Amino acid sequence: MTPAPGRLALVILVAGCGLPDTEYFGKVPEVTDPGHLRYCNSGEPEGIDPATVSSTTAMKPVYLLFDGLTDYDENGLPEPSLATHWEVSDDVRTFTFHLHDRGRWSNGRPITAWDVRYQVMRVLHPTTASVNADGLSELRNATLYNGGAVRIVQRDGAGLRAGDVVEVTAVDGRALQAWRDAGDAWPDSNARRGSKPLALRDLGADEALAYARVPANADVTIIERRDGWGYVYWNRGDGVYGWVPWTELDVEPHAAARYTIKPVDGGGAEVEVAATDLLMLPEALGVRVPDDQTIVFETTNPTPWFVSLTDNRTLRPTPREAVSRSPRRWTDVDTIVTSGPMHLVAWRQRDAMELVRSPTFWNQDEVKLDRITILAVDGQSAAANLYFTGACDALTANHLPASYTRPLAARYKDFHVEPWLGVYFAMLQTETFPNRHFRRALAYAVDRTQIPKFLHGGQFPTAQYMPGTPISQLDDAELALCGVTRDTPGVVSLMVTGELCYVPPPGLDFDPTKAREELALARAEGGVPSSFVYKFNQGSETHKLVAEYLQAQWQAVLGLDVELEIQEWKTFLSDTKNGQFEAARFGWIGNFPDAEAEFLPMFRCDSPNNRMQWCRPEYEALLDAAKPIRDRQARLAKIRAAEAMMIEDAPIIPLYVYTQVHMQKPYVRDLHLNLIDQPPLHEAWLDPDWRQD
Amino acid sequence: MLRLVLGRLAGGLVVLWAVATFSFFMLRAAPGGPFDEERAIPPEVKAHIEERYDLRAPAIEQYGRYLENLITLDFGHSMKRQQSVGEIIADHAPYSARLGLFALAIAITGGVLLGVIAAARHNRAADHVAMSISLIGISIPSFVLGPLLVLIFSLTLFWLPPARVGGFASYILPATTLGMIYMGTIARLTRAGMLETLRQDYIRTARAKGVSERAVVWRHGLRLGLLPVITYLGPATAALISGSFVVEKIFQVPGLGFYFVASITDRDYPVLTGVLVFYTAFLVALNLVVDIAYGMLDPRTRVT
Repeated sequence: MTPAPGRLALVILVAGCGLPDTEYFGKVPEVTDPGHLRYCNSGEPEGIDPATVSSTTAMKPVYLLFDGLTDYDENGLPEPSLATHWEVSDDVRTFTFHLHDRGRWSNGRPITAWDVRYQVMRVLHPTTASVNADGLSELRNATLYNGGAVRIVQRDGAGLRAGDVVEVTAVDGRALQAWRDAGDAWPDSNARRGSKPLALRDLGADEALAYARVPANADVTIIERRDGWGYVYWNRGDGVYGWVPWTELDVEPHAAARYTIKPVDGGGAEVEVAATDLLMLPEALGVRVPDDQTIVFETTNPTPWFVSLTDNRTLRPTPREAVSRSPRRWTDVDTIVTSGPMHLVAWRQRDAMELVRSPTFWNQDEVKLDRITILAVDGQSAAANLYFTGACDALTANHLPASYTRPLAARYKDFHVEPWLGVYFAMLQTETFPNRHFRRALAYAVDRTQIPKFLHGGQFPTAQYMPGTPISQLDDAELALCGVTRDTPGVVSLMVTGELCYVPPPGLDFDPTKAREELALARAEGGVPSSFVYKFNQGSETHKLVAEYLQAQWQAVLGLDVELEIQEWKTFLSDTKNGQFEAARFGWIGNFPDAEAEFLPMFRCDSPNNRMQWCRPEYEALLDAAKPIRDRQARLAKIRAAEAMMIEDAPIIPLYVYTQVHMQKPYVRDLHLNLIDQPPLHEAWLDPDWRQD
Repeated sequence: MLRLVLGRLAGGLVVLWAVATFSFFMLRAAPGGPFDEERAIPPEVKAHIEERYDLRAPAIEQYGRYLENLITLDFGHSMKRQQSVGEIIADHAPYSARLGLFALAIAITGGVLLGVIAAARHNRAADHVAMSISLIGISIPSFVLGPLLVLIFSLTLFWLPPARVGGFASYILPATTLGMIYMGTIARLTRAGMLETLRQDYIRTARAKGVSERAVVWRHGLRLGLLPVITYLGPATAALISGSFVVEKIFQVPGLGFYFVASITDRDYPVLTGVLVFYTAFLVALNLVVDIAYGMLDPRTRVT
């Protein structure tokens, strides 16, 4: 999307009239309502259902409306919220969270561990079709469950016992993959019908309170079984879920189907059983609820970063009673049930959301605001104009037109730059450029220190891959923790406050001599193309400036001819994904600061994100070797070795750590920005007496 | 007249079908899909999602189902947003319509006034002034005019809001920006039509009978002089009311124009086909209205 229209206002402002000679950008209105924050967000979110949304735009309302076991603290790391504390087992595979009993949904119902388990089940169940399912893949059997390929044995026999968890490999003699490839649905052991109509309702509710009625002999899918009741999904329209007495689900449409199964732990032979002996139930997942205030997660491998998943939207519970009635539209204003510090009272699509303090939120002391208006401003110029006239108090990160940053950065006190957990890099298609020396030559030839001088967004130049905090900004305690000295170049990743620090291996930083040596080596091996094409996408002036800079650097240092090609965003994504490029830009933003979980898996051979098509078994071996290691330092050592191997081989050329450029009026207090752009907005407040400071 | 209407309606249906079919296949031919993002979704998960939106069947089957639904006026569900296409149109078309009508009012009033003045004062100073204004309106693109108006009235004088619409005042800048081009064109068409008309015999007759110049121009001349404007008003109204991407973007108006572009960049197939079919239907309907209006204004063009 081009933000070009409207940028002109500033151009005229700068060229003609000159920017207003004030301390702050535009008008600073008097604070008339200290409890009301108006926040300019970057457009309309695709939704606000924590189970299905994924954009940074959606996270702003989502984290205000829904509470989690943990919440983001000032540094973007998890702090207790619904959970008061948690324990991690010695093998780092079992995570026990203890919930307090003060959590309430906005309809008054207490929030319990069952709500968290429901969320896990919901995100992973195929009927939800959630893009967030991948985030829980470390959970035991999560991937199988998401693919509909796990079952619980219902009765003893054929060498199996009731309660065994098994993997389905084939149905009616046809492998699951074959069913999938043909685009067919296999006969589901969980399909049921009622010989009489089914009245869908809340668990244990009277039939008269039913909110949907399934006609007799219509297919439903069993999702869960509890206390003589079944929770089913009826695929009609937008779908509807509900409980019915188990005995009413008396017809099995696929009773004749034969399932080929094997134990999930890998051992044991395949056997064939009747579909009637199997059910896919959430008990197959690595999540247990021993009592209302305790939830236990179990992962396949030691997962040291598991706690970091609990503040993420994916694990923030959603209210079953509301979701069941209207799975896709329960977040509408009249039906939404929330659990966070704010509640939704009005929502004008593509204009604004009105949030007010939720009276049922358990931690009222933390909430400083009574009202938050989230403006959905997709145009960057419009956002800047609204901010300028004082129509919003703060502007979300990186939502200023690129051309604004330079004139604004130098001049105004309400312009702020913070590091962001993201890295900008050039990637090389390693099948087109199989020569390692050539790739290394390209990496050595780029002087990253020049980049912030023409981008003006405070970017931190780096040849390292894993982004983090510049070492120059660390305090003494952090320096000691990371074992680096202040004059060390580069960044470090602070993973657990005061406990864990990861120092990424150094990259192939600017060195023209080495670049030319590597090029000579590559030339000797015949691995140097006469020219190549560097692709970048539309949408930001930044990409063009960086592309032109790389072109100039590779020409000046190596004498290479580089052509530039600009592409529309989806075409760019599609081309780079299919390997149809030689060199191209890319960026990677992490959800939490953990190289192993968030940044290194994309270099695995079969990763859908491995656009470089770089594939090294030794690299995968190092990552796999790290998996069973419990000691975090020892584990990080393996991870660091893997990252070093990758960066030395140069499938990518890291250029800089992303920054968040944002603006907030001087009267806005305690709007803490963190590495992952998740400011706890409800903790901010407006100070009418700000001028007295 | 009935035959004309029926004939046009039948033709309109063919056009609608062609637009639906063309957009259906063109957008699917573009690389990438609605669920391709920087972070790729695992194939398992993607399969569920694509199944939900009927993207896994062969294109021709999807097309068949799409047409079936279209006949019952079911445009389908957005693949990127929570709403159905019907809801998107119902929620956002009114913003575009309000803005468009406001702009249309500015364009017609200003345009006809300038055109009549120019024609009545042919080749005199008033003519040149009026035509210069219309030329400016036609030649300054909205992405220049819009920010210019914002700069003056919002960022410097702080009189009007720079973006978002609510009350009457908030529509002034976007409607003016949107209406200027149309005003310029209408002024030129009116002037040309009037000049042509004022040379007709019946006008000479009217003058000879001693009808006042004002009545000649406004009562006798304007009726026929406006015919080219009427022709232009059909598509112009459709374009104005169905939303302008540029003006809506500058002023953050939550209208329909946004979806013409966003649905392409998002590869949101149902939304694009939906808004295109809606827009086409609108255009066809307005052209029909123009034909009927023509018949009323000038009996000679009536088809029996």
